[in-house]
Amino acid sequence: MDINNRKVLNKSVTGFGYFSIFLLALSLLIILLPIIINGLGAFFFKGTVEFRRVQYEKFNRGNNEDILAEINKTNVHKNYIYKKMHTFMDKIDEEEIEDSYKYEKNVNELYKLIKDLIGPPLDEDRPVLIREQYGETRWDKAEEKLDEILYKREWDYTNKDKIGRQVKTLRLNDFKGTEIEDIFRYIETNIEAIMLPEFTFYYNFLFDKSYDAHFFGGIWPEFLGTFYLALGAMIFAVPMGIIAAIYLAEYSKEGKILSILRTFISTLSGVPSIVFGLFGLAFFINTMKVSDSKSVLAGALTLALLILPTVIRSSEEAILAVPDTYREASLALGTTKLKTIIKVILPAALPGILTGVIISLGRAAGETAPIIFTAAVSVGSPLSFGEIFNQPSPALSWNIYNLVTEHEAVNEIRHVQYGMVFSLVLLVLSLNLVAVILRARITKKLRG
Amino acid sequence: MKSVNISDSIQISKGASLLKRLASSFTELILLAIASFSTIIVFFIIFYIARDALPFFKLEGIGEFFTSIRWYPSNEPAEFGAASIIFGTLIVTLVSSLIAIPLALMASISLSDILPFAIRQYVKPIIEMLAVIPSVAFGFFALVILAPLLQKSGGSLLGGVVVFIFFPILLLISYILSNIVYNKYLKKKVYYKYVLFSVMSGLSVFLLVYIYLVLSRIQVSSGTNILNVSVILGIMALPTMVSVSEDALWSAGRDLRENSYALGATRAETIFKVVLPAAKSGILAGITLGIMRVVGETMVVWMASGNAAQIPGPWYNIFEPVRTLTATIAGDMGEADHVTGSSRYHVLFAMALLLLIISFISNFLSEWFLSRSKKKLRD
Amino acid sequence: MKKMFLIIIMLVMVFSLSAKDKIVIDGSTTVGPIAKAFAEYFMSINKDVNVTVSESGSGNGAKSLVNSTCNIAAMSRFMKDKEFKASVANGVMPVAHVIALDGLPIIVHPSNPVKNLSVKQIRDIYMGNITNWKAVGGPDMKIVTISRDTNSGTYETFHKLVMKKQKIGKKCEYVGSNGAVRARVQSTNAAIGYAGLGFVDNTVKALKVNGIYPSKKTVSLGTYPIARPLYMFTNTYPKMGSNLYRFITLHLSKNGQEIVKGIGFVPVTNYKKTRR
Repeated sequence: MDINNRKVLNKSVTGFGYFSIFLLALSLLIILLPIIINGLGAFFFKGTVEFRRVQYEKFNRGNNEDILAEINKTNVHKNYIYKKMHTFMDKIDEEEIEDSYKYEKNVNELYKLIKDLIGPPLDEDRPVLIREQYGETRWDKAEEKLDEILYKREWDYTNKDKIGRQVKTLRLNDFKGTEIEDIFRYIETNIEAIMLPEFTFYYNFLFDKSYDAHFFGGIWPEFLGTFYLALGAMIFAVPMGIIAAIYLAEYSKEGKILSILRTFISTLSGVPSIVFGLFGLAFFINTMKVSDSKSVLAGALTLALLILPTVIRSSEEAILAVPDTYREASLALGTTKLKTIIKVILPAALPGILTGVIISLGRAAGETAPIIFTAAVSVGSPLSFGEIFNQPSPALSWNIYNLVTEHEAVNEIRHVQYGMVFSLVLLVLSLNLVAVILRARITKKLRG
Repeated sequence: MKSVNISDSIQISKGASLLKRLASSFTELILLAIASFSTIIVFFIIFYIARDALPFFKLEGIGEFFTSIRWYPSNEPAEFGAASIIFGTLIVTLVSSLIAIPLALMASISLSDILPFAIRQYVKPIIEMLAVIPSVAFGFFALVILAPLLQKSGGSLLGGVVVFIFFPILLLISYILSNIVYNKYLKKKVYYKYVLFSVMSGLSVFLLVYIYLVLSRIQVSSGTNILNVSVILGIMALPTMVSVSEDALWSAGRDLRENSYALGATRAETIFKVVLPAAKSGILAGITLGIMRVVGETMVVWMASGNAAQIPGPWYNIFEPVRTLTATIAGDMGEADHVTGSSRYHVLFAMALLLLIISFISNFLSEWFLSRSKKKLRD
Repeated sequence: MKKMFLIIIMLVMVFSLSAKDKIVIDGSTTVGPIAKAFAEYFMSINKDVNVTVSESGSGNGAKSLVNSTCNIAAMSRFMKDKEFKASVANGVMPVAHVIALDGLPIIVHPSNPVKNLSVKQIRDIYMGNITNWKAVGGPDMKIVTISRDTNSGTYETFHKLVMKKQKIGKKCEYVGSNGAVRARVQSTNAAIGYAGLGFVDNTVKALKVNGIYPSKKTVSLGTYPIARPLYMFTNTYPKMGSNLYRFITLHLSKNGQEIVKGIGFVPVTNYKKTRR
C-alpha cells in the first residue's frame, strides 16, 4: 500500500481511539451529572419556615425562641388568609351567597392547595398524618405550589381528533366578585414573608430518620441498613476469602484440584445476582432458618456469597505479589510455613488485600437483587446492633427502587429519591477512591 | 508457584518430625476445605435452584416453555410460554452488545496502544467508576431521566446521537477514502484531494441529515423500551469488556510490537495485524464476560424495560417494551401464591436454572478463551 | 481468650437487651401506603415496637403468612382456596380484617379527551380488540395498555371485575406497582392503566366507568363497578391487648380512619365528616 495511505490510516485509528475514550467519559458524565446535581438538592436548598418547624418539632433542632418568633411572624399572614377563607366557606355552607353550590368544589380545591402551601391553621386540631401537619418545606416546591394556586390547569378538548391542549387560566376568575378575590394577590405579594425562605445545608439528611414515608426527614434507616448489610457480608466473606486465597497462593500445587477450584470460583462470580437472591431465600431462610423471616443476617450471608469470588481473587493477587525473598528469609530462620504466612506474608500483602476488600464492600453496598427476598423492607426503624440477627431493614439500594416505583407520591419526593441515589453513588465511589489511593501507595512502595 | 516448591523442599530437607508434618498437612487440609467452600456453594446453588425448577418441567413439560409465546401464568388454565421472555433477554443482549462491543474494542485498543501514559492515568478511573456505580442507580437514571426523554423526543434524540457519533466517523472515513483515491489516481494536483474530500464529506453530511430526518419522525409510544435498557446495559458492560481485553492486549507483549515496528509497520498496522490477532482469545473472553453481565442484570431491566411479555412486531423494533428472564423472576416472585407445588412458583426457578446454565456456559467459554490466550502467549 | 469471652458475653447482652417486639407486614403494594402510614404512626406512639413493611405483592404476603414469616399479610384480594388449604396444613388459621375500601380507577393521560368508557370497552381495549383511541371517541392514537404485574391483587381484581377472566392481549405492558402504573400513564399520551384510588392525582385523569366517576362516595356506596375491599390477614385473631391486636384494630379508631382517608382510600367505618 502507498506510504501516504498508511500514514492516513494510522492517524485515523488514533482519531477513532481518542473518540471512543471521549464517548466513554461522556457517558459517565451524562449519567452522573444529573444524579449529582439533583442529589445535592437534597442537602442544599432554600428551606422554609415549615422546614424549620419540622426540624424543631420532630428532631428537637433549633432555638425555641427563634422558631416561635418566626412562627408568630408568619402567623399574621396565615391568620389573615385563613380568616378570610373560613368566613367565605361558612357563608357557602349557610348558602348566604347566591349560587353557592357553584363555588363549593372550587373553594375546596383552593383551600386544600393553600393548606398544602402554608400548612394548616395552627389553632385547629392537628391532623394525624404528618404530611397534613406542615406546609411546603422547600422553597422550590413552595414556588410550584404558588403557581398552582394562582393558575389553574385545564385541558382543552375542543378538537376531538387531537389530544387535548393544556390551558393555564387564572384561578382568580373562579372567584371574581367574591370577598376572597384579593387573597390571590395577597399570597403572591407576601409569599416570602409567609414562607421565610432561607438557604439551608441539611447535612442531617443522612442521619435523620424519615417521617411519613419520606415526606420529611432523612434516610438514616436506609443508610444504616446498607451499612449493616455490607459490613455483615464482609465479616463472613473476608476471612473465608483470605483463607481460600492463602490456600490457592501458598499451598496448592498446579494441577487438577487447583484448576477445578479456580473454575468454580469464576463460575460463582458469574452467577446472576437475582439467582443469589432466590438461593438466599431458599437456603438461608427456608432451609437453614437463620431467621424466621427476612433479616439483615440472611441478606448479609447472601451478599457474602456474592462477593466471595472478588475477595478471593484480589487477596490471591496481593499474596502472590509479595516477593519470594520474604518467604525464603522467614523460612531460613526456621519458622514454620503457617507462621511465615501469618507473620510475614499476610502483613506484607495487607494493603493489597484491603484494596480488594474495600472494592467488594462497595459492591455489597450497591447490590439490590440479592436482598429483595432476603433482607429489604420498605419501612422499618433504624436497627440497633443486636437487632440485625432477626429484623429486616430498609437499605439504600432497595429503597431507591421502592421510592421510585411504589411510593404513592412519587413526584412529591423526587428530591429524596435523588438524595438517596446520590448518597449511594457517593458512598460507593468514595470507597473506591480509598481503594485507588491505597493501591497507588502500594505500587509506589513496590517500585521505590 | 515457584515459591511454594522452594518452601516445601526446605521443610523436607530440614527433616521435620512426623508430628510436625502431620500437623502441617492437617492445616493444609483445613485450608483446602475452606478454599473449596465456593465449589460447595456452586453445587448448593445448582441443587436448590434445580430442586425447585425440575418440578415445573415434570408438571408442564418442556415444549411449551421454550416454544410458546403465551405467558399467562395466572389464568385458569395457566400458560407458561416463556419464548417471548427468552426473546426479550436475547434482543436486549444483542442490542447492548452492538452498542458495547465496538466501543469497548476501540477503547481498550486506545488504552493499551494509543493513549499516552498521562491521559491513560485519568481514563482508568473513569472505567472503574463506571464499574462500581450500583445497578439500581443505572436503573434510576434509565427510568427517571432517560425514559421521559425518549418518550418525548425519542426519534430526534436517537437521530441526534447517531449524527453525533457518526459525523466524526464519516468525516474520518471520507478523509481516508479521499486520500486513498488521490494517492492512487490523481497524484498530480493537490487541490483534487480537497475537492474530493469536501464532496465526500458533503455527501456524508447529506446522508446524516437524511438519517436524522427519518429517525426523528419515529413516534415512541413508550420510553421504557429495548433501546433504553440496551443503552444502559451496554454502558454497564463496558468496564468488564474493556478491562479484560485491555489486559489481553497489554500482555501480547512489547516484543511483538517492537518486532512489528522494526519491520516498518505503522502503529495502526501493528494493532490490527499483529496485536489484535495475538490477543483475540483474551478479547473474546472479555466480551463473553461483559455479555454475561448484561444477561444477569436485574434492576435496570426490571425498572426500565416495560415488562411486556411480547415479541415486538417487527422483531427488531427497538422502541417496543419487552420482558426479560431476570425481571420476570424479580417481579413475579412476589406472586408464588400457592406456597409450593404450583407451576407458577416453579416456572420462576426454571428461568433461574436457565440463567444459571447460560452463565455457566459463558463462564466456561471465557475460561477456555483465557486459557487459550495464555497458551498462545507461552508458545 | 478472656477478652474473647468478654466480647461474646457483651454481644449476647446487647442482643438480648435490644430485642424489641416486632410486627412484620408483608404483601400488597396497594395496601402498602396504609400499612406504611399505620406502621409509622404505631411506632411513634409505641417506641418499643419495630414495625416493618415489605411490599412484595399479595401472593407473597399470603405465602409469608403461611410460612409464618410475617405477622400480617396485607392483601388487595381475598385468600385463594389453595392458600387457605396450605395455611391450615401449616397450622396457620388466617383471619381477615378489612381495613379499607378501594376503587380501581381507569386512568389515562390528562390530555386524552375520552371521559367515559364502559366495562366492555375497557375489556376490549385490554384484550387487544380495540387498538386505537379513535374507536372509543378519542384522537387517532395507538392505545398503550398498562397493567399491574400478574402477581398483584390489583391485577386479579381487574381480571375478575373487568376482564371477566378473559385474557389480556400480549401487547400489554406490565409494571410492578401502582405508582409505576401512574408514572407510565402520566408520561404517555396514549396510555391507559388502572391503579388504586389513593394513587390518582392531578397528573392523570380518572375515567368514568359506565358513567360513574370513581370517588370515595361511589366506592363506599358500591355504585362504582370496579371496587374491592383491602385486607390484612393474621394468624387467628390476635391476643387481645397485644401489640398486634392494637395494630390490627387501628383502622377502627378515629385516627386510623383519618390516616386511611388522608392517603386517599375509603375508610370502612364512617366517622363524622368535618370539612377542615
